[in-house]
Amino acid sequence: MRKRIPVVLAYAGATLTLLIAACTPFYLMGAFSSAVARAGLHIDAAYSGGTIARTYQRDGYRIVVYNPVRPHLLQGIEPFVQVVFTPVSALPAVVDERIDLDGDGLNDVHVTFAMDRRPGAKLRGNVVALNANYESLMDVGDESFSRMFVLVNNEVIVRVPFHPAVAKK
Amino acid sequence: MASTKARAPAYRGIARSALLTLPIALWSLLMFTPTFQSSSPNLHIGAVAVIVFMTGLFFMMMRTGSTYRWRRIFFVALGFLFPVGFITQLVAARGTMSIPIERMVSGDTPFCFMVTPSLILPAAFARTIVFPGSILPTASNPHSIAVMIGLWFAFTLVMGKAWCSYACFFGGIEEGFAGIAKRAKIRKLDPRLRLIPWAILLFVVLVSAAIYEPVYCMWLCPFKTVTEFPAVRSLTSALQFVVFIVLFAGLVVVLPFLTKKRTQCGFFCPFGAFQSIFNKINPFEIRFNREKCVDCTLCQSACPTMALSAESIREGKTLLNCMKCGACVDSCKKDAAVWHLKGTEVAVKPERARLLFLYGTWAMATMFGGSVLANSLATTLHLIHWN
Repeated sequence: MRKRIPVVLAYAGATLTLLIAACTPFYLMGAFSSAVARAGLHIDAAYSGGTIARTYQRDGYRIVVYNPVRPHLLQGIEPFVQVVFTPVSALPAVVDERIDLDGDGLNDVHVTFAMDRRPGAKLRGNVVALNANYESLMDVGDESFSRMFVLVNNEVIVRVPFHPAVAKK
Repeated sequence: MASTKARAPAYRGIARSALLTLPIALWSLLMFTPTFQSSSPNLHIGAVAVIVFMTGLFFMMMRTGSTYRWRRIFFVALGFLFPVGFITQLVAARGTMSIPIERMVSGDTPFCFMVTPSLILPAAFARTIVFPGSILPTASNPHSIAVMIGLWFAFTLVMGKAWCSYACFFGGIEEGFAGIAKRAKIRKLDPRLRLIPWAILLFVVLVSAAIYEPVYCMWLCPFKTVTEFPAVRSLTSALQFVVFIVLFAGLVVVLPFLTKKRTQCGFFCPFGAFQSIFNKINPFEIRFNREKCVDCTLCQSACPTMALSAESIREGKTLLNCMKCGACVDSCKKDAAVWHLKGTEVAVKPERARLLFLYGTWAMATMFGGSVLANSLATTLHLIHWN
Protein backbone atom coordinates (compact mmCIF):
# COMPACT_ATOMS: atom_id res chain seq x y z
CA MET A 1 0.00 0.00 0.00
CA ARG A 2 2.83 2.41 0.94
CA LYS A 3 4.48 1.82 -2.44
CA ARG A 4 1.25 2.67 -4.21
CA ILE A 5 0.86 6.14 -2.66
CA PRO A 6 3.67 7.82 -4.66
CA VAL A 7 2.39 6.21 -7.85
CA VAL A 8 -1.16 7.43 -7.22
CA LEU A 9 0.19 10.92 -6.43
CA ALA A 10 2.32 10.84 -9.59
CA TYR A 11 -0.64 10.06 -11.82
CA ALA A 12 -2.78 12.57 -9.96
CA GLY A 13 -0.11 15.23 -10.62
CA ALA A 14 0.12 14.26 -14.29
CA THR A 15 -3.67 14.38 -14.63
CA LEU A 16 -3.68 17.78 -12.96
CA THR A 17 -1.26 19.14 -15.59
CA LEU A 18 -3.65 17.92 -18.31
CA LEU A 19 -6.58 19.62 -16.57
CA ILE A 20 -4.60 22.84 -16.24
CA ALA A 21 -3.68 22.71 -19.93
CA ALA A 22 -7.32 22.12 -20.90
CA CYS A 23 -8.65 24.89 -18.65
CA THR A 24 -5.99 27.52 -19.38
CA PRO A 25 -7.50 29.23 -22.45
CA PHE A 26 -11.06 29.18 -21.09
CA TYR A 27 -10.68 29.88 -17.42
CA LEU A 28 -7.26 29.63 -15.78
CA MET A 29 -5.41 32.28 -17.78
CA GLY A 30 -8.08 34.81 -16.82
CA ALA A 31 -8.03 33.62 -13.20
CA PHE A 32 -4.24 33.85 -12.94
CA SER A 33 -4.26 37.27 -14.65
CA SER A 34 -6.94 38.52 -12.25
CA ALA A 35 -4.88 37.27 -9.31
CA VAL A 36 -1.86 39.24 -10.56
CA ALA A 37 -4.04 42.30 -11.16
CA ARG A 38 -5.50 42.06 -7.64
CA ALA A 39 -2.08 41.72 -5.98
CA GLY A 40 -1.92 45.48 -5.37
CA LEU A 41 1.07 45.98 -7.64
CA HIS A 42 1.77 49.26 -9.39
CA ILE A 43 4.09 50.37 -12.17
CA ASP A 44 7.15 52.25 -10.92
CA ALA A 45 6.48 56.00 -10.85
CA ALA A 46 9.52 56.67 -13.05
CA TYR A 47 7.48 55.14 -15.89
CA SER A 48 3.87 55.83 -14.85
CA GLY A 49 4.40 59.35 -13.47
CA GLY A 50 3.10 58.40 -10.05
CA THR A 51 -0.24 59.26 -8.46
CA ILE A 52 -2.57 62.15 -9.26
CA ALA A 53 -2.40 65.10 -6.84
CA ARG A 54 -4.93 67.51 -8.33
CA THR A 55 -6.81 68.35 -11.52
CA TYR A 56 -7.50 71.78 -13.01
CA GLN A 57 -10.46 72.08 -15.38
CA ARG A 58 -9.96 74.45 -18.31
CA ASP A 59 -12.19 75.30 -21.25
CA GLY A 60 -12.77 71.79 -22.70
CA TYR A 61 -9.61 70.19 -21.39
CA ARG A 62 -8.04 69.23 -18.06
CA ILE A 63 -4.61 69.73 -16.56
CA VAL A 64 -3.74 66.81 -14.29
CA VAL A 65 -0.89 67.40 -11.84
CA TYR A 66 0.81 64.37 -10.30
CA ASN A 67 2.57 64.01 -6.98
CA PRO A 68 6.35 64.54 -7.13
CA VAL A 69 8.35 61.46 -8.11
CA ARG A 70 11.50 60.98 -6.09
CA PRO A 71 13.68 58.17 -7.45
CA HIS A 72 15.10 55.38 -5.33
CA LEU A 73 18.63 55.62 -4.04
CA LEU A 74 20.47 54.17 -7.06
CA GLN A 75 17.82 54.84 -9.70
CA GLY A 76 19.34 56.76 -12.60
CA ILE A 77 16.71 59.49 -13.01
CA GLU A 78 16.18 62.98 -11.57
CA PRO A 79 13.17 63.82 -9.36
CA PHE A 80 10.29 65.31 -11.38
CA VAL A 81 6.64 66.27 -11.41
CA GLN A 82 4.36 65.03 -14.18
CA VAL A 83 1.67 67.23 -15.70
CA VAL A 84 -0.83 65.85 -18.23
CA PHE A 85 -2.95 67.89 -20.66
CA THR A 86 -5.97 65.93 -21.90
CA PRO A 87 -7.85 65.42 -24.19
CA VAL A 88 -5.54 66.50 -26.97
CA SER A 89 -8.47 67.17 -29.32
CA ALA A 90 -9.66 70.01 -27.04
CA LEU A 91 -6.28 71.71 -26.66
CA PRO A 92 -5.81 75.08 -28.40
CA ALA A 93 -3.22 75.49 -31.16
CA VAL A 94 -0.87 77.09 -28.64
CA VAL A 95 -1.06 76.06 -24.99
CA ASP A 96 0.12 78.74 -22.58
CA GLU A 97 -0.55 77.87 -18.95
CA ARG A 98 0.68 78.94 -15.53
CA ILE A 99 0.27 75.99 -13.18
CA ASP A 100 0.39 75.53 -9.41
CA LEU A 101 2.24 72.22 -8.99
CA ASP A 102 2.47 71.98 -5.20
CA GLY A 103 -1.05 73.16 -4.33
CA ASP A 104 0.03 76.23 -2.31
CA GLY A 105 -2.10 78.60 -4.40
CA LEU A 106 0.88 80.12 -6.23
CA ASN A 107 1.89 79.32 -9.79
CA ASP A 108 5.10 77.29 -9.96
CA VAL A 109 5.72 76.91 -13.70
CA HIS A 110 4.77 78.58 -16.95
CA VAL A 111 4.25 75.91 -19.62
CA THR A 112 4.05 76.72 -23.35
CA PHE A 113 3.88 74.46 -26.36
CA ALA A 114 2.39 74.52 -29.84
CA MET A 115 0.18 71.60 -30.86
CA ASP A 116 1.33 69.94 -34.04
CA ARG A 117 -1.35 67.40 -34.95
CA ARG A 118 0.34 66.06 -38.09
CA PRO A 119 0.93 62.27 -37.90
CA GLY A 120 4.39 61.49 -36.56
CA ALA A 121 5.06 65.08 -35.54
CA LYS A 122 7.20 65.40 -32.41
CA LEU A 123 6.05 67.75 -29.70
CA ARG A 124 8.47 70.26 -28.17
CA GLY A 125 7.80 72.84 -25.49
CA ASN A 126 9.14 75.18 -22.82
CA VAL A 127 8.79 75.37 -19.06
CA VAL A 128 9.76 78.55 -17.24
CA ALA A 129 10.19 77.94 -13.53
CA LEU A 130 8.35 80.56 -11.44
CA ASN A 131 9.46 78.80 -8.26
CA ALA A 132 13.11 78.08 -7.46
CA ASN A 133 12.23 74.48 -6.66
CA TYR A 134 11.79 73.64 -10.34
CA GLU A 135 14.10 73.74 -13.34
CA SER A 136 13.28 75.62 -16.53
CA LEU A 137 13.22 73.65 -19.78
CA MET A 138 13.75 75.18 -23.21
CA ASP A 139 12.71 73.44 -26.43
CA VAL A 140 12.41 70.02 -24.84
CA GLY A 141 10.92 66.90 -26.48
CA ASP A 142 11.57 63.31 -25.43
CA GLU A 143 14.95 63.94 -23.76
CA SER A 144 14.63 61.70 -20.68
CA PHE A 145 12.20 60.27 -18.15
CA SER A 146 12.58 63.42 -16.03
CA ARG A 147 12.34 66.11 -18.69
CA MET A 148 9.90 65.63 -21.50
CA PHE A 149 7.10 66.97 -23.68
CA VAL A 150 5.44 64.03 -25.46
CA LEU A 151 2.13 63.43 -27.19
CA VAL A 152 0.67 59.96 -26.67
CA ASN A 153 -2.80 58.35 -26.45
CA ASN A 154 -4.78 61.63 -26.50
CA GLU A 155 -2.56 63.18 -23.81
CA VAL A 156 0.32 65.60 -23.70
CA ILE A 157 2.67 64.48 -20.95
CA VAL A 158 5.05 67.06 -19.52
CA ARG A 159 7.68 66.20 -16.92
CA VAL A 160 9.31 69.05 -15.02
CA PRO A 161 12.50 68.23 -13.08
CA PHE A 162 13.23 69.65 -9.68
CA HIS A 163 16.07 72.16 -9.50
CA PRO A 164 19.34 70.25 -8.84
CA ALA A 165 19.79 72.03 -5.51
CA VAL A 166 16.32 70.91 -4.37
CA ALA A 167 16.70 67.45 -5.88
CA LYS A 168 19.77 66.76 -3.70
CA LYS A 169 17.81 67.45 -0.49
CA MET B 1 24.76 17.93 -30.78
CA ALA B 2 25.22 14.52 -32.28
CA SER B 3 22.61 13.79 -34.87
CA THR B 4 19.65 12.16 -33.18
CA LYS B 5 18.87 8.70 -34.40
CA ALA B 6 15.58 8.27 -36.19
CA ARG B 7 13.52 5.64 -34.49
CA ALA B 8 11.95 2.77 -36.40
CA PRO B 9 9.36 4.32 -38.73
CA ALA B 10 6.67 1.87 -37.69
CA TYR B 11 6.84 2.44 -33.93
CA ARG B 12 3.03 2.55 -34.07
CA GLY B 13 0.54 1.75 -36.77
CA ILE B 14 -1.16 4.52 -38.72
CA ALA B 15 -4.60 3.87 -37.22
CA ARG B 16 -3.37 3.82 -33.62
CA SER B 17 -1.20 6.91 -34.18
CA ALA B 18 -4.20 8.70 -35.72
CA LEU B 19 -6.36 7.73 -32.76
CA LEU B 20 -3.77 9.06 -30.32
CA THR B 21 -3.54 12.26 -32.37
CA LEU B 22 -7.31 12.81 -32.40
CA PRO B 23 -7.43 14.79 -29.09
CA ILE B 24 -4.76 17.20 -30.37
CA ALA B 25 -6.55 17.57 -33.73
CA LEU B 26 -9.80 18.44 -31.93
CA TRP B 27 -7.97 20.78 -29.56
CA SER B 28 -6.33 22.58 -32.50
CA LEU B 29 -9.72 23.04 -34.17
CA LEU B 30 -11.15 24.37 -30.92
CA MET B 31 -8.26 26.81 -30.44
CA PHE B 32 -8.54 28.24 -33.94
CA THR B 33 -12.34 28.34 -34.27
CA PRO B 34 -12.47 32.03 -33.21
CA THR B 35 -9.89 32.84 -35.92
CA PHE B 36 -12.37 31.79 -38.61
CA GLN B 37 -14.75 34.53 -37.45
CA SER B 38 -12.18 37.10 -38.59
CA SER B 39 -12.67 38.62 -42.04
CA SER B 40 -8.99 38.18 -42.97
CA PRO B 41 -8.46 35.37 -45.52
CA ASN B 42 -4.74 35.44 -44.67
CA LEU B 43 -5.57 34.61 -41.06
CA HIS B 44 -7.84 31.77 -42.21
CA ILE B 45 -5.01 30.33 -44.31
CA GLY B 46 -2.59 30.75 -41.38
CA ALA B 47 -4.97 28.99 -38.99
CA VAL B 48 -5.61 26.05 -41.35
CA ALA B 49 -1.86 25.69 -41.97
CA VAL B 50 -1.13 25.69 -38.22
CA ILE B 51 -3.88 23.16 -37.44
CA VAL B 52 -2.45 20.82 -40.09
CA PHE B 53 1.14 21.56 -38.98
CA MET B 54 0.65 20.99 -35.24
CA THR B 55 -1.58 17.95 -35.73
CA GLY B 56 0.76 16.50 -38.34
CA LEU B 57 3.81 16.88 -36.10
CA PHE B 58 2.00 15.26 -33.19
CA PHE B 59 0.96 12.40 -35.44
CA MET B 60 4.59 11.87 -36.42
CA MET B 61 5.59 11.86 -32.74
CA MET B 62 3.06 9.13 -32.15
CA ARG B 63 3.95 7.21 -35.29
CA THR B 64 7.74 7.28 -34.92
CA GLY B 65 8.14 7.42 -31.14
CA SER B 66 10.56 10.31 -31.62
CA THR B 67 9.86 13.58 -29.82
CA TYR B 68 12.86 15.79 -30.43
CA ARG B 69 13.03 16.01 -34.20
CA TRP B 70 9.31 16.76 -34.68
CA ARG B 71 9.24 19.23 -31.81
CA ARG B 72 12.27 20.93 -33.31
CA ILE B 73 10.43 21.60 -36.58
CA PHE B 74 7.68 23.42 -34.66
CA PHE B 75 10.13 25.22 -32.41
CA VAL B 76 12.39 26.50 -35.19
CA ALA B 77 9.35 27.63 -37.20
CA LEU B 78 8.14 29.51 -34.11
CA GLY B 79 11.55 31.08 -33.55
CA PHE B 80 11.89 32.35 -37.11
CA LEU B 81 8.27 33.36 -37.75
CA PHE B 82 7.65 35.15 -34.44
CA PRO B 83 9.96 38.09 -35.26
CA VAL B 84 8.34 38.44 -38.71
CA GLY B 85 4.90 38.96 -37.19
CA PHE B 86 6.11 41.01 -34.22
CA ILE B 87 8.38 43.36 -36.16
CA THR B 88 5.76 43.89 -38.87
CA GLN B 89 3.17 44.84 -36.25
CA LEU B 90 5.62 47.24 -34.59
CA VAL B 91 6.56 48.90 -37.86
CA ALA B 92 2.89 49.16 -38.89
CA ALA B 93 1.97 50.76 -35.54
CA ARG B 94 5.02 52.94 -34.92
CA GLY B 95 7.04 53.00 -38.12
CA THR B 96 10.05 51.62 -36.27
CA MET B 97 11.26 48.68 -34.16
CA SER B 98 12.48 50.99 -31.44
CA ILE B 99 10.23 51.89 -28.55
CA PRO B 100 10.01 55.65 -28.04
CA ILE B 101 9.97 57.12 -24.54
CA GLU B 102 6.33 58.27 -24.87
CA ARG B 103 5.24 54.65 -25.39
CA MET B 104 7.15 53.65 -22.26
CA VAL B 105 5.59 56.32 -20.03
CA SER B 106 2.12 55.53 -21.34
CA GLY B 107 2.57 51.83 -20.44
CA ASP B 108 2.53 50.59 -24.03
CA THR B 109 5.57 48.29 -23.87
CA PRO B 110 4.44 44.68 -24.49
CA PHE B 111 5.48 42.54 -21.52
CA CYS B 112 8.06 39.87 -22.21
CA PHE B 113 8.32 36.90 -19.84
CA MET B 114 12.13 37.19 -19.90
CA VAL B 115 11.91 40.22 -17.61
CA THR B 116 10.08 38.28 -14.87
CA PRO B 117 13.13 37.59 -12.64
CA SER B 118 14.02 41.32 -12.64
CA LEU B 119 10.63 42.12 -11.16
CA ILE B 120 10.70 39.73 -8.21
CA LEU B 121 12.33 41.77 -5.44
CA PRO B 122 10.75 45.21 -6.14
CA ALA B 123 7.36 43.49 -6.49
CA ALA B 124 7.82 41.49 -3.29
CA PHE B 125 9.12 44.29 -1.09
CA ALA B 126 7.66 47.47 -2.59
CA ARG B 127 4.77 46.12 -4.70
CA THR B 128 6.38 47.95 -7.58
CA ILE B 129 6.79 46.68 -11.11
CA VAL B 130 10.01 48.03 -12.62
CA PHE B 131 8.85 47.69 -16.21
CA PRO B 132 7.28 50.33 -18.49
CA GLY B 133 4.16 48.29 -19.29
CA SER B 134 0.62 48.20 -17.96
CA ILE B 135 -0.71 45.77 -15.37
CA LEU B 136 -4.09 45.32 -17.06
CA PRO B 137 -4.55 45.00 -20.82
CA THR B 138 -5.32 48.20 -22.71
CA ALA B 139 -6.39 48.93 -26.26
CA SER B 140 -2.83 49.95 -27.13
CA ASN B 141 -1.16 47.14 -25.14
CA PRO B 142 -3.02 43.82 -24.98
CA HIS B 143 0.17 42.05 -23.82
CA SER B 144 -0.13 43.40 -20.29
CA ILE B 145 1.86 42.22 -17.29
CA ALA B 146 -1.09 40.39 -15.64
CA VAL B 147 -1.99 38.55 -18.87
CA MET B 148 1.56 37.48 -19.68
CA ILE B 149 2.44 36.42 -16.13
CA GLY B 150 -0.86 34.51 -15.93
CA LEU B 151 -0.02 32.73 -19.16
CA TRP B 152 3.53 31.99 -18.07
CA PHE B 153 2.33 30.59 -14.74
CA ALA B 154 -0.12 28.21 -16.43
CA PHE B 155 2.62 27.02 -18.79
CA THR B 156 5.02 26.54 -15.91
CA LEU B 157 2.58 24.37 -13.97
CA VAL B 158 2.04 22.16 -17.01
CA MET B 159 5.58 21.83 -18.32
CA GLY B 160 8.13 23.28 -15.87
CA LYS B 161 11.39 24.07 -17.62
CA ALA B 162 10.02 22.51 -20.82
CA TRP B 163 8.81 26.08 -21.46
CA CYS B 164 12.28 26.59 -22.93
CA SER B 165 11.78 23.96 -25.62
CA TYR B 166 8.05 24.19 -26.39
CA ALA B 167 7.03 27.80 -25.76
CA CYS B 168 9.94 30.25 -25.83
CA PHE B 169 9.93 31.77 -29.31
CA PHE B 170 13.48 33.01 -28.82
CA GLY B 171 14.98 29.55 -28.26
CA GLY B 172 13.77 28.44 -31.67
CA ILE B 173 16.09 30.91 -33.39
CA GLU B 174 19.24 29.46 -31.89
CA GLU B 175 17.96 25.91 -32.28
CA GLY B 176 17.64 26.74 -35.98
CA PHE B 177 21.22 27.98 -36.19
CA ALA B 178 22.45 25.02 -34.10
CA GLY B 179 20.91 22.66 -36.62
CA ILE B 180 22.67 24.04 -39.71
CA ALA B 181 26.12 22.42 -39.50
CA LYS B 182 26.45 18.65 -39.68
CA ARG B 183 29.18 18.53 -37.05
CA ALA B 184 30.17 20.85 -34.26
CA LYS B 185 33.29 22.92 -34.99
CA ILE B 186 33.79 23.49 -31.26
CA ARG B 187 33.27 20.27 -29.35
CA LYS B 188 34.94 20.79 -26.01
CA LEU B 189 32.94 23.06 -23.75
CA ASP B 190 33.74 23.65 -20.12
CA PRO B 191 30.91 22.18 -18.01
CA ARG B 192 31.17 25.17 -15.66
CA LEU B 193 29.59 27.27 -18.44
CA ARG B 194 26.22 25.93 -17.34
CA LEU B 195 26.60 27.86 -14.07
CA ILE B 196 26.75 31.25 -15.83
CA PRO B 197 22.94 31.63 -16.22
CA TRP B 198 22.60 31.27 -12.43
CA ALA B 199 25.21 33.97 -11.89
CA ILE B 200 23.44 36.25 -14.40
CA LEU B 201 20.11 35.49 -12.72
CA LEU B 202 21.48 36.54 -9.34
CA PHE B 203 23.02 39.64 -10.91
CA VAL B 204 19.83 40.81 -12.69
CA VAL B 205 17.63 40.11 -9.66
CA LEU B 206 19.86 42.07 -7.28
CA VAL B 207 20.85 44.91 -9.60
CA SER B 208 17.28 45.39 -10.89
CA ALA B 209 16.13 45.75 -7.28
CA ALA B 210 18.96 48.17 -6.53
CA ILE B 211 18.54 50.52 -9.48
CA TYR B 212 14.83 49.94 -10.13
CA GLU B 213 15.34 49.09 -13.77
CA PRO B 214 14.79 45.85 -15.71
CA VAL B 215 18.54 45.35 -16.16
CA TYR B 216 18.25 42.30 -18.43
CA CYS B 217 15.91 44.17 -20.81
CA MET B 218 17.93 47.34 -20.79
CA TRP B 219 21.38 45.83 -21.20
CA LEU B 220 21.59 42.08 -21.73
CA CYS B 221 18.76 40.73 -23.86
CA PRO B 222 20.10 39.44 -27.23
CA PHE B 223 16.55 39.21 -28.57
CA LYS B 224 16.06 42.96 -28.50
CA THR B 225 17.74 42.72 -31.90
CA VAL B 226 14.71 40.91 -33.36
CA THR B 227 11.94 42.47 -31.27
CA GLU B 228 12.03 46.01 -29.92
CA PHE B 229 14.64 48.11 -28.15
CA PRO B 230 14.80 51.55 -26.54
CA ALA B 231 15.03 54.26 -29.21
CA VAL B 232 18.66 55.28 -29.81
CA ARG B 233 18.75 58.87 -28.57
CA SER B 234 21.97 59.02 -26.59
CA LEU B 235 25.38 57.44 -26.23
CA THR B 236 23.95 55.10 -23.57
CA SER B 237 21.12 53.85 -25.76
CA ALA B 238 23.53 53.48 -28.70
CA LEU B 239 25.79 51.37 -26.47
CA GLN B 240 22.81 49.27 -25.37
CA PHE B 241 21.93 48.65 -29.01
CA VAL B 242 25.49 47.55 -29.80
CA VAL B 243 25.45 45.16 -26.81
CA PHE B 244 22.17 43.62 -28.02
CA ILE B 245 23.56 43.05 -31.51
CA VAL B 246 26.86 41.59 -30.27
CA LEU B 247 25.07 39.23 -27.88
CA PHE B 248 22.62 38.16 -30.57
CA ALA B 249 25.32 37.58 -33.18
CA GLY B 250 27.55 35.73 -30.71
CA LEU B 251 25.15 33.70 -28.59
CA VAL B 252 22.23 33.14 -30.95
CA VAL B 253 23.89 32.85 -34.38
CA VAL B 254 27.64 32.14 -34.35
CA LEU B 255 28.14 30.00 -31.25
CA PRO B 256 25.10 27.75 -31.85
CA PHE B 257 26.39 27.22 -35.40
CA LEU B 258 29.89 26.35 -34.15
CA THR B 259 28.91 24.23 -31.14
CA LYS B 260 25.52 22.80 -32.19
CA LYS B 261 24.34 23.81 -28.72
CA ARG B 262 21.76 26.38 -27.65
CA THR B 263 24.44 28.62 -26.20
CA GLN B 264 22.22 31.54 -25.17
CA CYS B 265 19.75 29.21 -23.44
CA GLY B 266 22.37 26.98 -21.87
CA PHE B 267 25.10 29.42 -20.94
CA PHE B 268 23.50 32.85 -20.62
CA CYS B 269 19.72 33.08 -20.19
CA PRO B 270 18.77 34.04 -16.61
CA PHE B 271 15.10 33.33 -17.31
CA GLY B 272 16.06 29.77 -18.27
CA ALA B 273 17.88 29.37 -14.94
CA PHE B 274 14.83 30.77 -13.14
CA GLN B 275 12.58 28.37 -15.04
CA SER B 276 14.80 25.43 -14.00
CA ILE B 277 13.56 25.85 -10.44
CA PHE B 278 10.06 24.88 -11.61
CA ASN B 279 11.32 21.50 -12.81
CA LYS B 280 11.17 20.60 -9.12
CA ILE B 281 7.37 20.97 -9.02
CA ASN B 282 6.66 19.41 -12.41
CA PRO B 283 5.84 15.69 -12.40
CA PHE B 284 7.65 14.87 -15.65
CA GLU B 285 11.35 14.29 -16.15
CA ILE B 286 13.90 12.30 -18.14
CA ARG B 287 15.62 9.42 -16.35
CA PHE B 288 18.22 6.81 -17.30
CA ASN B 289 17.74 3.08 -16.93
CA ARG B 290 21.12 2.08 -15.49
CA GLU B 291 20.57 -1.56 -16.44
CA LYS B 292 20.52 -0.61 -20.13
CA CYS B 293 22.92 2.37 -20.11
CA VAL B 294 26.37 1.62 -21.54
CA ASP B 295 27.83 5.09 -20.80
CA CYS B 296 28.35 5.80 -24.48
CA THR B 297 27.73 9.56 -23.81
CA LEU B 298 25.67 9.93 -27.00
CA CYS B 299 22.95 11.57 -24.89
CA GLN B 300 25.47 14.02 -23.45
CA SER B 301 26.55 15.04 -26.94
CA ALA B 302 22.94 15.34 -28.08
CA CYS B 303 21.82 17.54 -25.18
CA PRO B 304 21.54 21.12 -26.51
CA THR B 305 22.08 22.80 -23.14
CA MET B 306 24.60 20.49 -21.40
CA ALA B 307 21.95 19.37 -18.92
CA LEU B 308 23.69 16.03 -18.52
CA SER B 309 26.97 15.17 -16.83
CA ALA B 310 28.75 11.83 -16.41
CA GLU B 311 27.80 11.90 -12.71
CA SER B 312 24.15 12.69 -13.36
CA ILE B 313 23.90 9.87 -15.91
CA ARG B 314 25.49 7.48 -13.40
CA GLU B 315 22.79 8.54 -10.95
CA GLY B 316 20.19 7.98 -13.67
CA LYS B 317 19.10 11.64 -13.71
CA THR B 318 19.42 14.83 -15.70
CA LEU B 319 20.60 18.09 -14.17
CA LEU B 320 18.11 20.71 -12.98
CA ASN B 321 18.38 22.70 -16.23
CA CYS B 322 16.92 19.87 -18.38
CA MET B 323 14.29 21.38 -20.67
CA LYS B 324 12.72 18.05 -21.66
CA CYS B 325 13.30 18.50 -25.39
CA GLY B 326 13.78 14.74 -25.79
CA ALA B 327 17.13 14.93 -27.63
CA CYS B 328 18.76 12.46 -25.23
CA VAL B 329 15.86 10.00 -25.45
CA ASP B 330 15.91 10.09 -29.25
CA SER B 331 19.69 9.69 -29.42
CA CYS B 332 19.92 6.71 -27.06
CA LYS B 333 20.52 3.54 -29.04
CA LYS B 334 19.89 1.32 -26.01
CA ASP B 335 16.59 2.91 -24.98
CA ALA B 336 18.15 3.71 -21.61
CA ALA B 337 17.03 7.36 -21.64
CA VAL B 338 13.32 7.39 -20.91
CA TRP B 339 10.46 9.75 -20.16
CA HIS B 340 9.48 9.36 -16.54
CA LEU B 341 6.71 10.31 -14.16
CA LYS B 342 8.13 11.20 -10.75
CA GLY B 343 7.01 8.73 -8.09
CA THR B 344 6.78 5.78 -10.47
CA GLU B 345 9.47 3.21 -11.17
CA VAL B 346 12.05 4.18 -13.79
CA ALA B 347 11.58 2.62 -17.24
CA VAL B 348 8.20 1.15 -16.29
CA LYS B 349 5.71 2.42 -18.85
CA PRO B 350 7.90 5.30 -20.11
CA GLU B 351 5.66 5.78 -23.13
CA ARG B 352 2.72 6.46 -20.84
CA ALA B 353 4.77 9.18 -19.12
CA ARG B 354 5.74 10.61 -22.52
CA LEU B 355 2.13 10.68 -23.69
CA LEU B 356 0.87 12.36 -20.52
CA PHE B 357 3.63 14.96 -20.84
CA LEU B 358 3.10 15.53 -24.55
CA TYR B 359 -0.68 15.94 -24.42
CA GLY B 360 -0.49 18.80 -21.91
CA THR B 361 2.60 20.36 -23.43
CA TRP B 362 1.52 20.12 -27.07
CA ALA B 363 -1.92 21.47 -26.19
CA MET B 364 -0.27 24.53 -24.62
CA ALA B 365 2.20 24.83 -27.51
CA THR B 366 -0.71 24.78 -29.99
CA MET B 367 -2.62 27.40 -28.03
CA PHE B 368 0.29 29.83 -27.64
CA GLY B 369 2.95 29.05 -30.24
CA GLY B 370 0.28 27.98 -32.72
CA SER B 371 -1.49 31.32 -32.54
CA VAL B 372 1.85 33.13 -32.90
CA LEU B 373 2.58 31.01 -35.99
CA ALA B 374 -0.87 31.62 -37.50
CA ASN B 375 -0.59 35.39 -37.03
CA SER B 376 2.95 35.45 -38.37
CA LEU B 377 1.97 33.37 -41.41
CA ALA B 378 -0.94 35.73 -42.06
CA THR B 379 1.45 38.68 -41.79
CA THR B 380 3.92 37.00 -44.14
CA LEU B 381 1.15 36.38 -46.70
CA HIS B 382 0.12 40.01 -46.37
CA LEU B 383 3.73 41.16 -46.87
CA ILE B 384 4.11 39.17 -50.07
CA HIS B 385 0.73 40.54 -51.24
CA TRP B 386 -0.77 37.09 -51.39
CA ASN B 387 -4.11 38.52 -50.35
